[in-house]
This record gives sequence, C-alpha cells and structure tokens, in this order.
Amino acid sequence: MTTNTFVAGSGFLYRMDPRAKIMAMLLICVLLFLAITLEGLYATVVLLILVGSVNTGLRHTGRTFKSILPMLLFMALFMPFNVRSGQSLVSIGSFTLITREGALQAARLGGRFIGITYACTLLFATTPMTDVMLALRWYRLPYKASLVVTLSFTYIPFIADSFTQISESHRLREGGELEKRRSVFKRLRDLLPTLTSALVVALRSIPYLAMSLEQRGFGRSEKRTSYHSLDSYRHGFTDFVISLTIPIVFWLTFRAR
Amino acid sequence: MEKNRNALKVAVVAVLTAVVVVFTMIVRIPTAKGYLNLCDVAICFIAFTFGPWSAFIAAGLGTALADLFSGYAQWAPISFVVHGVEGLLVALIVRQKGSVTIPFVTKVVAGFVCMATVSLGYFALSAIFISGVSVAAAEIPWNLLQSGVGVVLGLALAAAVKRAYPPVSSLAW
Repeated sequence: MTTNTFVAGSGFLYRMDPRAKIMAMLLICVLLFLAITLEGLYATVVLLILVGSVNTGLRHTGRTFKSILPMLLFMALFMPFNVRSGQSLVSIGSFTLITREGALQAARLGGRFIGITYACTLLFATTPMTDVMLALRWYRLPYKASLVVTLSFTYIPFIADSFTQISESHRLREGGELEKRRSVFKRLRDLLPTLTSALVVALRSIPYLAMSLEQRGFGRSEKRTSYHSLDSYRHGFTDFVISLTIPIVFWLTFRAR
Repeated sequence: MEKNRNALKVAVVAVLTAVVVVFTMIVRIPTAKGYLNLCDVAICFIAFTFGPWSAFIAAGLGTALADLFSGYAQWAPISFVVHGVEGLLVALIVRQKGSVTIPFVTKVVAGFVCMATVSLGYFALSAIFISGVSVAAAEIPWNLLQSGVGVVLGLALAAAVKRAYPPVSSLAW
C-alpha cells in the first residue's frame, strides 16, 4: 500500500516554496470557476499539463490522465445531451440530439475537471508530505491537527500490514477454491471476522500511543521545536509573487465580457 | 488530567483516521461493475462506537487522505465534507447516555441518514464543483449501495468489536 504521493524530481516546481504552491493551487482552482472564456480555461489547463510534464515527467502526466479518463469519457457521453436549448448541432429528424450550448458546457466541465485534477496532483507530486504539513502549519493549521495527520501516516502501514496478515491467515483456514464461488454478500459476511480482528489490533495500540504522547511532553505550554523547516526554500517572496501573478494575469486576459 | 485526556483524544483520532484510510484503500470487494470499498463500514463503526467528533474528524480526514493517496486529490475536499458529515450525523443519532443499547428504530434512522448524506452530498457537491448534474446523478445508486452495505456491516462490526475488546467503550469521547 503506497501512502507517498511524492514523485522524485529536480524541476523548478520542486524548488518552489510549498506555501506559495498551496496558494497557487487554490488560486488556479478559483480561476477555473470564475467567468473566463473557454479558450482561457483550456490555456490554463495546457499550462498546467506543460508545467507538470516538465517537472514530474510525461509518464506521471499520463498516469494522472489515465486515472481520470473513465470520468472524462462519462462526461463526454452524457453531458452534451443534458442541455436541450440553443442551436442544434446533431439531430435525428426533428429530434435535436446535441446542441451547441450542451457541447460547450461539456467542454467547460471537462476542462475544469482536468485543471483541478492537475493542480491538486502537481502540488502533492512535487512537495514531500512533511513540507506540506509545515506549510499548512504556517497557514495556522492547529498543531493538534497536523499531529493527527502525521501520526495517522505512521499507523497506516502498521494497520494495513496487520489487516493483510489476518486476512491471509483467515483465507488459509478457508481454502482458496471456495472463495471464487462465493457471492458478493457471502464474501462481505465472511469478511467480518477479519475486520474485527484487524480493528482490535489497531484499537489496542491507542492507549500505548496516548501514553507515549504524554511521555514526550504533549500538551506542554512551551513551543515544540522541529528538526525540519521550510528555510531551505530560498526564494519565498519571488515564489509568492509568481503564484499570485499567473492566475491574475490569466483572469484579466481571459475573463468573459 | 486534561492534558492526559487530550493525548488520548489525539491518539484515538489518529488511529481511527488510519483505520478509515486502510478500509478505503485495501479492503476492496470486486463486483460486476467495479468494486466496493469499505470506507462507510469504518465510518459507521466509528460513529456507533466512538461518538460524533471522533467520527467527524476520522471519517473526513481518512477518506480525504485515501483520495489523495489514490491519485484523486480533486475529490479530497468533497470526501472530507460528505463523509465527515456522515460520521457526525450517524453518531449524533445513535448517541446514548450510559450503556443503554441502541433501539432498532434509531439504527434504521441512522442508516437512512447515512445513505442519504452520502448519496445526496456527493451528488450536490460533485454536480456543483466537478462533473455536472447528469454525471453526478449516475453515481447515486452506487453510493447508496456502498453506504447501505457500510451501515449494515458497521453495525455488526461495532457489536463484534465491543464483545472482542470491551475496553473500547472507555476510548470514546
């Protein structure tokens, strides 16, 4: 089970301050919802894909696209038929199948979906999770909240491993051949003992985790120090200016009049 | 004393968040049209066992993290809101004073609320922010099925875990 979204690389996005990247991602998502022309929307999407391909590589770009392809196909197949009014594009006899407005709306929603996907994916592919958490703390995310996320990152592999071990031992007791013939509902019912065992293992670790938190001084009034900081990103101000400028320029250039 | 309680709260929420991520990402039951994931099972279990705030944070955060790790970061904010509210509402409905067993009618109401929250929440938010009305509407039956299975298995799991590990009741807050 992979809980790492970071893709190793050395492009300029990797050197960009994570705080500025978070702001850029949010502003781009907002831009995609503002009243901009379709050309502007696709120019933003193309820019995102280009920046992504240069930084994380074509393979990662392809993989991201592949993950949203079923949804895009679904949109392309159903969205155009949703809008009945406007200029007819495709019709069978007197029945209008697709209107110009329907096709434009499908294109807009599809473009927006690709844009949001790439903006979000690029942030997490080019920034280690520790830096994302530090950046969120800089944006005043409470310490407890970031601690919960960090601790759950530590516990995910542990719980996943225990679940795999428990389910394999249960399967060995049942025999593999039987499983293929069982219905979905039977399989769900038979999953219950495995889930119960995995949950009990996970829940038993809670008192120990709470105890270790107390022993490490959780809740003390003194501010905690951190081994890691965002000081290695040297061009914070420039990165913030770039993150702010690009969405504003795109909005001013492509806003619908 | 308050400090100790805070440490326990953080530990409970962190482990439960990890449980939701694992149930969403690892446990997948293949079906004819794709697969069922068990995030709603974990959420209902937490709501029935741990109370509203643990359910809200663990459900929202867990499903959002699972979306992030699976490469669907764009769905993470929607999952956070929908599943967080699902956990919160179910837990508020089944909340009991003392160790009184939850009446059957309350469980049924909680189940319906859970299914309605997931299907309508995803429909409304993805129609507005992601995919438009028709594509979002097509997801409703699938979400109903998944959350329905989640409620039934979640209830069974809550009862089984309480029998297998009685101290679980002392971890609720």
